[in-house]
Amino acid sequence: MTDTRFARMKDLPSTHWLGAGTPMCAGCGGLQALHQIYDILGNKTVFVNAAGCMTLLSIYPFTPFRGSWLYTAMGSAPAGAQGIRDALDILLEQKHIPPEEDLTTVVLSGDGSAYGMGVSATSGAIDRGLDFLYICYDNEGYGNTGQQFSAGAKTSTSKGPRGYPGYKKDLFALWAANKPAYVATVIGAEPLDLARKIEKATQLKGSRLIIALSPCPTGWDFDPKESTEIGRLAVKTGVWPLKEYQDGRVSHTKIPKERLPVEDYLKVQGRFAHLFEPVRNEAMLAEIQQRIDDYWADVV
Amino acid sequence: MFNIRFHGRGGQGIKTAGRLLGTAFFLEGYEVQDAPRYGAERRGAPMSAYVRADRKPINARGIITHPDLVVVDDSLIPVPAAGVLAGIRPDTVLLIASHEDDAVWRSRLNLKSPILTIKPSEGADPASVSAACAGASARLTGVIRKENLIEALEDELGKLGPALLKANLDTVLQGFESMSAHQGLVRQSEAIALIDYQKPEWINLPLEASELASATIQGAQTSVQVRTGLWRTQRPVVHYEDCHRCWWVCSSFCPDSAISVNEEGFPVIDYEHCKGCMICVAQCPSHAIVAIPESEAQRLERQGEQR
Repeated sequence: MTDTRFARMKDLPSTHWLGAGTPMCAGCGGLQALHQIYDILGNKTVFVNAAGCMTLLSIYPFTPFRGSWLYTAMGSAPAGAQGIRDALDILLEQKHIPPEEDLTTVVLSGDGSAYGMGVSATSGAIDRGLDFLYICYDNEGYGNTGQQFSAGAKTSTSKGPRGYPGYKKDLFALWAANKPAYVATVIGAEPLDLARKIEKATQLKGSRLIIALSPCPTGWDFDPKESTEIGRLAVKTGVWPLKEYQDGRVSHTKIPKERLPVEDYLKVQGRFAHLFEPVRNEAMLAEIQQRIDDYWADVV
Repeated sequence: MFNIRFHGRGGQGIKTAGRLLGTAFFLEGYEVQDAPRYGAERRGAPMSAYVRADRKPINARGIITHPDLVVVDDSLIPVPAAGVLAGIRPDTVLLIASHEDDAVWRSRLNLKSPILTIKPSEGADPASVSAACAGASARLTGVIRKENLIEALEDELGKLGPALLKANLDTVLQGFESMSAHQGLVRQSEAIALIDYQKPEWINLPLEASELASATIQGAQTSVQVRTGLWRTQRPVVHYEDCHRCWWVCSSFCPDSAISVNEEGFPVIDYEHCKGCMICVAQCPSHAIVAIPESEAQRLERQGEQR
């Protein structure tokens, strides 16, 4: 990474633009990523929020944002963003607003919308070359209503003795297949990597999409204070690869030197307790580890 | 009809306590309503749950405005947003989970209502305190038999495995036994007649064109008016003599933008909004941020003010 104003941790923003007092849970990994992103984006933004946990950010009469915010149904946030972008373009063209008053259109959605209901609208927006930024806070389930599994769910996430039997959908690849300007994965536990990617995204035009893995104390069942450590473990175990797509190429921005066993990540979360209790499910643990090893075998 | 209102903090088992009591009533043959108050309740935030039980069909709906029994975690009593004492009558029983005893609360609150306390054991997790409260409330109603309480518990928590069930069973029964001297203290009340019904304090918006009637927020960053600091049960405190001024750690990781950086590069915690997640405590490289119980922090503050 060259030409970044974020060379070291010290260069991270020391002023925080997102207002405190939001109704997100204590220790919310999604809010952690959002505030870090917002600190870099600044207030010249319009947020289009698909229904989800973060809809609660702006409950009348309260909002943590300094700019406008629009609420849409789960599947249609990119369509909302298209409308706002078009309106801004018309205002600019007709000189009703000067170029310096232009705003960045930002879609904010959870994984329920990004991985499932909103895929079609997102794909359409990328096809049309919509100039917008999409931020998905991915807590691997419908967090606001009790962590039922979404298409973003990791192995065995949803509650119950056996969990969810499927595997997490590769949204990064799905988005990248649409050939947008930029796709990246980030996490609040790696703020420097996140800052560089958001900085890069702000310098590009066209569709730019960011997926932030969002450790969720309530849904994943862990003590809120562990939120950042669990995020870091997701990276160190190779569960959450930090990468970006640009100009047809995928590059990994942080390759763990010696990957920790995936068990280190799984055993600290209540949602995976069924893999360890009443007896260790060796076969399932080995399978999960194998899938991660297979992924990284193709990378390095 | 029994009207029972639980007040607790999100994530601390209050919803389950209400559910447990509701199921026990049901097994006794009562018609039951039990519901937590849904909304934006979050872990640590004040929330409430309601149980209605009657031998006759229940026509009442919604929140309980005039409870016969209020079950509450003592840290919420001074929190106005929690509305713990709203609508109580002189015969409304207050069951307070507190380390302080009934006499202290009687003199502090100066109410006619009977006040009982249930003392959490040292270091007990909040969910087990809620379980004890559920057992205690069952005894206070005087109409729930032990075997039905046990069956209700098996119904509600059986799926979580035998170890957890056993631990909760012991706690629930301890709560149940602790109120043996007060069995039946809670008095049933009649449903409020329509004529006595008081409208909640809400604002009726006239039906107007959407540009007039829609709820548009005109101000920026108004969320700071919400004091989420009330959610906190633990308080992070910066020991500045140990702080190495690597503010980019704590202030970036704080999800709530509640750690700002002063001119000298020291982090400053905004206690009006800090929700007490303790990420800063866990992440501080020099261990300069320590967690102390919020009640202790407030006690120290009061002492400081008196001096």
